[in-house]
Amino acid sequence: MGSLLLISVIKFVAYVSIVLVTVIMLVYAERRVSAFIQNRLGPNRVGPWGLFQALVDVVKLLLKEDIVPKNAYKPVHDLAPIISIAVALSTFAVIPFGNTIELFGTQVKLMIADVNVGILYLLSITSLGVYGVTLAGWSSNNKYSLLGGLRSSAQLISYELSMGLSIIGVLMVCGTLRLDQIVLHQTTYLWGWLPAWNIFLQPVAFFTFFIAAFAETNRLPFDLPEAEPELVGGYHTEYTGLKFGLFFLAEYANMFTAGAVITTLFLGGWHLPYAEYLGLSPTMLSILQVLTFCVKLVLVELFFIVVRWTIPRFRYDQLMNIGWKVMLPLTLANVLVTGAVMLLIQ
Amino acid sequence: MVDQALLSLAKFLPEITLAITFCLALLVGVIFRSRPRLSMWVALLGVVVSIALTIREMGITESVFSGMIAVDPFATFFKLIVGSSAIFIFLFSLYSAEVLSTMKRLVEYSSLLVAMTLGMYLMVGATNLLMMVLSIELTGLSSYVLAGYTKEASDSSEASLKYIIYGALSTGLMLYGISILFGLTGGAMDIYAINRALVTSPVNPIALLVASLLIIAGLGYKISAVPFHFWTPDVYEGAPITITAFLSVASKAAGFAMLIRFFKIAFIDSSAVGLPAGIWITLQGFEWNKIIAILSVLTMTLGNLVAVWQNNLKRLLAYSSIAHAGYMLMGLAILSDKGIAAVLIYFVVYMFMNLGAFYVVMLVSNKTGSEDIDSYKGLGFRSPFIGVSMVIFFISLAGLPPTAGFIGKLFIFASLLDAKWIWLAVVGAINSVISLYYYVRVVRNMFLRDPDENSGPLKFSVPEIVLLLLLVVPTLLFGLYYSPIVDFANASARMLGVH
Amino acid sequence: MDSHAVATGALYGYRNQKSSSTNNFFESSVTLETFLFYTLGAVSVGSALMMVTRRSPVMSALYLILNFFALGGLYLSLHAQFIAFIQILVYAGAIMVLFVFVIMLLNLGDEKKLNERFSWKKIVGAGLSFGVLMELIFVFAFSKANLPPSHFEKATDIGTVENIGMQLFTTFLFPFEVTSVLLLAAIVGAVVLAKKKLN
Repeated sequence: MGSLLLISVIKFVAYVSIVLVTVIMLVYAERRVSAFIQNRLGPNRVGPWGLFQALVDVVKLLLKEDIVPKNAYKPVHDLAPIISIAVALSTFAVIPFGNTIELFGTQVKLMIADVNVGILYLLSITSLGVYGVTLAGWSSNNKYSLLGGLRSSAQLISYELSMGLSIIGVLMVCGTLRLDQIVLHQTTYLWGWLPAWNIFLQPVAFFTFFIAAFAETNRLPFDLPEAEPELVGGYHTEYTGLKFGLFFLAEYANMFTAGAVITTLFLGGWHLPYAEYLGLSPTMLSILQVLTFCVKLVLVELFFIVVRWTIPRFRYDQLMNIGWKVMLPLTLANVLVTGAVMLLIQ
Repeated sequence: MVDQALLSLAKFLPEITLAITFCLALLVGVIFRSRPRLSMWVALLGVVVSIALTIREMGITESVFSGMIAVDPFATFFKLIVGSSAIFIFLFSLYSAEVLSTMKRLVEYSSLLVAMTLGMYLMVGATNLLMMVLSIELTGLSSYVLAGYTKEASDSSEASLKYIIYGALSTGLMLYGISILFGLTGGAMDIYAINRALVTSPVNPIALLVASLLIIAGLGYKISAVPFHFWTPDVYEGAPITITAFLSVASKAAGFAMLIRFFKIAFIDSSAVGLPAGIWITLQGFEWNKIIAILSVLTMTLGNLVAVWQNNLKRLLAYSSIAHAGYMLMGLAILSDKGIAAVLIYFVVYMFMNLGAFYVVMLVSNKTGSEDIDSYKGLGFRSPFIGVSMVIFFISLAGLPPTAGFIGKLFIFASLLDAKWIWLAVVGAINSVISLYYYVRVVRNMFLRDPDENSGPLKFSVPEIVLLLLLVVPTLLFGLYYSPIVDFANASARMLGVH
Repeated sequence: MDSHAVATGALYGYRNQKSSSTNNFFESSVTLETFLFYTLGAVSVGSALMMVTRRSPVMSALYLILNFFALGGLYLSLHAQFIAFIQILVYAGAIMVLFVFVIMLLNLGDEKKLNERFSWKKIVGAGLSFGVLMELIFVFAFSKANLPPSHFEKATDIGTVENIGMQLFTTFLFPFEVTSVLLLAAIVGAVVLAKKKLN
């Protein structure tokens, strides 16, 4: 029992540190990739190839003065970034990074918590992310912040629905709410050669989930709530110093989480097709699978970043239109069709 | 379980019809955007079909959907009352200036009326605590919105808001009582199971009392019993007249049906049969008749006394309907089959006379735009037919022969005297006398006061007059020829699972 | 607040990993559950008290959210996982968002301090709440709970999604369908009440 507790603690610490470092790297990656797209150099002075740029940025933010507007509601003003980052980081508890491995004689699952309602956990924690944004917008006592906060929350709750309904499609196909079981379900092969990843079994759900993920993470083309030309800074206008840093980190952590969830649910998680034919030892196989997960994750994140710097943003009414009149019927139709097909196949 | 559900569908046709009508009315309204009246006709047709199907299932006594709903003569009776009121209300709405002034929302009006009717159909048949709550919520939600339908008028929005708040509070209290009852009886949600649990292992009487009082609070809100009546005057005054009429008749009927059924099944010892005059024995010797009698006296007295001071006719009729709920509670206080039959008879006559009174108010309000008593001056001369009809309705409401109202009160008093509740009967009689005052006040305005100089005769179209006749004639007819109603009510007092 | 949820999830996951139970494990799980119960109970009662005593509506809403979290945790400790997460998803994540929306849009300021000292309302209210509290204690302490035997072998099975789904679509199919009609009526009603004329 003591060893289990120890393993849990180790996992927890490892995860949190890896995630934080990765998020910081993601900031750097965004700047370099955007520079590449825009045919310029990105940050390349601090450290080899500018790798320490993000770290230095975080340190700079830490050292800046923490200005709170005079009539801002201070308790809530302090609370909002905490909610944002906490929610963004909490989702990792249920993402499986690799298959169950044998460590010191016990089965260790490469996820912090094997909650048996994993998908519900994901949806609940994501739906709490709205509060960080809303409270930040309101507590700043600034009409641009308030507008940005309210717009953002409206957008978030609208696309939450489509996200949840897309996941229902996956749930129907895999028949379980547990994320490790979903990944295991995707390790089989259709017609002998095609890995049964949900992107092939549920293409519409993948499509809608991806779009909803863009909206949930406030990324372009859905980033009107924090668009600089329109809303000054949106909900984080009045934030400086570390609190702004937390929001910044929270946004990238959200992006990271969304990518991780997409990888797990649709791209087969840690599954490397035909890896079992390579005849490797279990440890090597596990390492390879973890690496596969990371590669898939990186690809998804690159896609996020490339889309941001390629496409113009939606107007707010277009955004809400798409969320309610296009995505929602599409996801509902997906659930219906999936159900019908499953019934017919049996 | 699923096959049983499929079999139950055959007995559930009226409600299915209403549900289909609800969706159909919405769809028709969306497809034929330029003709909103079409959805009203669709809704009316749906309700008529559901009544026809209800008549078809008149003799059945069964429990459907694994004990959630009961289809028995009691439920059928109340479904007929609710359905007929709905048909009348739809016909009223076709001629109501208030409703027709909001053509754009007419589609939602019709569909929400159908939803409300569906909720009431479910209310009268519910035998499971969960279904009780759900059906009350369905009826309540639709009526909250319909009460605020003419939202441009500020008192309509006020009515809706007050209704919502009271409704939410009462439903909350009722749910709390239900949760306590659920725990006390060992997790039984079916009211038959509650009865069995209470019979086999008696529970703490105080806890049972508290739970039942809370549930009565929720149900009493629905029937506007005092002290749960505070929403009634404001909501009745602010809502459009057609909705007020519907609430005062159908909502009360459904609430009473649920109250009687809940009481009869859950708290009465059904094994004590063969008692004289069908008297019920309450479980654990609870003094339910005293509690209900007190409620009844409070309701009657407050309703009648406050109505005396009212100048707005809708508010006056609101308090009068509170008083009538009090008379009906008298019938329940006896706790016998005869009392229930008397309540059923009263509902039939109450439907005609109350709907009639509200219809006349609507007609006058259409033409004069006012619901004040002063605007009824000389109505008897400006429009004799309307004046006379109103007199008939008011005399019926006061309970004087030869109208149907007299028959209703007669049977209630007869069953009271039969069960030796003399004091309650005396209180009821005194209250009837008090009610006569405020009814006759309007009559005096109509016939003994001259109309204003610049007001001419009021003309009404033929369909409106025909509709009025449809209400006046039964009010007079049933005052003289009432045996069919009595037989029907006696037959319908039987409930599922009770002999 | 969220670290608590994560910790609960972590500890719950830790418990799930160990399939067999040893004596040590059992003892520690009883202590853990009791500890969780008292903590979550204290948090929920405390946040409820804070909620009704705050002057700022947004703070009240935030305390209510905390209360829902604590309730969700309590449901988890009763092995009702589905209900726990649905509570957070629906109540704390959707309904309270709308509450907070409305409060912010209406720009409700802090409640002003009232000047009245002695009011009958407070006396009667306090008396009634005390009466309800006494009755609650009485009901729960002194009445027998004769619960029927459960269909499931393990208590942990009752709250699983599969079993709830099974019950929802067989025993409670009819109320489920009626609820859909109720929701449709509510949507139509909300649109009727809230829609403004566009011209």
